[in-house]
Amino acid sequence: MKIKSMGFAFVFALVSMVFMAQNAVAEMGNGSTNKDNLQIGTIEKLGNRELTIATKFEKDSKKYTMKLHPDAYVMTGDRGVFKKFTELKAGDLVAVYGWNLTGNDYVARRIVILDANSYLIKRLDADAKAGVYYKHEK
Amino acid sequence: MKKKLFSLLTLSVALVALNLPAEAKKVILTDKDARDWHVIAPQDSDYPLRDYAILYDAGGTDGAIGVIGIPSMKTYRHIKCGTDMHNFPFSGSNAGNNNGTPDGKYLYVSDKGSDTIDEVNLQTGWVERIFALPKPFGIHHSAALSPNGKYLFATGELTGKMLKLRLSDGATTVLDIPPAPSAPDYPDTSKDGRYVFSGNYYHSAVMVFSQDPFKLIKEIPVGKNPHGTNVSPTGRMVSVCDKLSATISIIDVDQLRVRKVIPVGAGPLHNQFDSLGKYVYNSCFVSDSTSKTDVMRMQLVDEFPIHYRCGHNSIAPDDAYYMSQNKFSTGLFTPTGIIFAVNFEEQDIDETSPTYGKSVKLAPVDGEPHEGRQIFATYIQRWNTGKGEDLFEKGYDLGDYHVSFGATGRPGLPANVHSQLEPTHTADSVRTWIPRDDGKPGVTKEGDVYVVRVKGFSYGYVPRFIHVPKGAKVRIIYTNIDKAAGLTKNPDVTMGFTAAGYYGPRTMIFAVRGMSAVDEFVADKAGEFEYYCQQFCGPLHLEMRGTFFVDPPGGKASMGVGDYDEMSKQDTMLAPGERQFIVGTNKLMNKLNEGSEPVI
Repeated sequence: MKIKSMGFAFVFALVSMVFMAQNAVAEMGNGSTNKDNLQIGTIEKLGNRELTIATKFEKDSKKYTMKLHPDAYVMTGDRGVFKKFTELKAGDLVAVYGWNLTGNDYVARRIVILDANSYLIKRLDADAKAGVYYKHEK
Repeated sequence: MKKKLFSLLTLSVALVALNLPAEAKKVILTDKDARDWHVIAPQDSDYPLRDYAILYDAGGTDGAIGVIGIPSMKTYRHIKCGTDMHNFPFSGSNAGNNNGTPDGKYLYVSDKGSDTIDEVNLQTGWVERIFALPKPFGIHHSAALSPNGKYLFATGELTGKMLKLRLSDGATTVLDIPPAPSAPDYPDTSKDGRYVFSGNYYHSAVMVFSQDPFKLIKEIPVGKNPHGTNVSPTGRMVSVCDKLSATISIIDVDQLRVRKVIPVGAGPLHNQFDSLGKYVYNSCFVSDSTSKTDVMRMQLVDEFPIHYRCGHNSIAPDDAYYMSQNKFSTGLFTPTGIIFAVNFEEQDIDETSPTYGKSVKLAPVDGEPHEGRQIFATYIQRWNTGKGEDLFEKGYDLGDYHVSFGATGRPGLPANVHSQLEPTHTADSVRTWIPRDDGKPGVTKEGDVYVVRVKGFSYGYVPRFIHVPKGAKVRIIYTNIDKAAGLTKNPDVTMGFTAAGYYGPRTMIFAVRGMSAVDEFVADKAGEFEYYCQQFCGPLHLEMRGTFFVDPPGGKASMGVGDYDEMSKQDTMLAPGERQFIVGTNKLMNKLNEGSEPVI
């Protein structure tokens, strides 16, 4: 009985370790996850205070649908000009700052319309073309 | 007549001809020029030098928040706050980098000298309320806001404590962080409401707390003496400045372990992530440089030289400029008093700019500034152009988001009132300078005065412990005995002395070589008070600590024995009529309902 229990504990520990190790490699270094607090991408779809983006500068683009937080606002990254949500257009390159509350619903607290000519975007673009992808931390 | 007409015609032609070259000389603006301050696009103001961003800096020893235009670096104003201002977040949300996602209403600045947090209303430009923290606490930093903007996390560096504060009424939960010595340093919060990270300077570890319930869950060993600790805007990592290891430790937030240790310049003090989390910039005090690390490559990619001794730093909200907030100005400026102005150095970090990596402006600043954070100028409204009444009920819009102060009032602040507080900086003490005093360090009694001779040097005090009885008339004679300012050798190093908390406003004195600073006050409250050097003096400046005990009749003061309830009212900070604007105090200690106070 005792040996049986120990065997079960050993197998359980082994399975747990494998599970934890698999989870570990799924995070930092392997592209964006829905736990991230910032996503960069182009707008694919706009709904009622909701947007879907396809991430950019990563190895594989991912899609995230985000709902606007009641206090969310939209602005440009250049001189802080504020915009209305209705001024966003499909194809806009945006940075969305927010969080994931339930594991499914991503809440956007601030949306920044990015300038494709800004040095950071040029750098992210050039790096991605050279194989250094955003959120693929080495 | 014909001659006159001919002359007139000739003159007209000549005038037109003279104008032509002037037209031809007109500057052709490029996209790059458009972001420069002297050629900005037309504004709704006739003031030609309007800035697109504002740097708020916690001014340290001047007891004020400095308000500086970016990129012009003009100082617009100082907001009087208290004694020794250190560190703050903007109200709103912590989403993003250090600059957060502001709503433009407040910033919450820690006053290390007075052991308080001030609520500064950015729209009025005045302190609105003072959070009286539980005593003894010994605050150093208050930089960490919960994602929903309702709670603040602060470190009690001088007592080894941490606290969580509810911003509506000042209620707190306070945690003790053993074992001693324990010095919780810069905190930051994860943007998803899970964690608070704070370096523990003496443990050489980063502490991890859950935000709700607020409790310590882990210590992660990092390099020697961690200082700046910041969560990246992606929320994926924390960058920790290992001050004495010349590295930054990158902590994986999901796994709560160090993912990589990256060598940077010597003496890294503070982090600034850009708004997309691509780079982190570090101020490196000993190497006099700004290190730039690519966090995707996880390696140092550039280093910019700076002038004298960088400390804190900040970054423009459009990532165009990095501000190195330097500690000494040896030989740079015209002397304006016993203590030299320190300086801010603006560096161009736009990789496509012809001046990339160069310092483009250098300006003297008041006080000895600590943390700075920048926001776009568009957050601050123009109340003085005929719409002042909107401040009270209507509010303002940030795109779709309507911001209102509301008309119902809050604890400590009646409805439809915005206070104009000017906290005190002296609290009835008398401070003078005398020729250098060479008396033996320690406490002696001269008549009815307890004379306390303290020597300050790089990096320590003699004596380390001072005892006087409650009610004593105290005269502190403080002398800088440095010969070469320790490691830095800068001749303009000043040594500071402040007994934090109740005596902070009464004891902040400065010692320059060749003279002694004298401070006289009555020690009317018993307790244990850490004293520290408030004027940055070198890489081990944080090590300059001692303890000032005001012993009650028949006993010895300690963290548990003293007039702490009375002191927690912070009465000396404001004039009697203003004290209604103080919230918090010991009465609200450990009154948060942990586990059911949502932080997101």
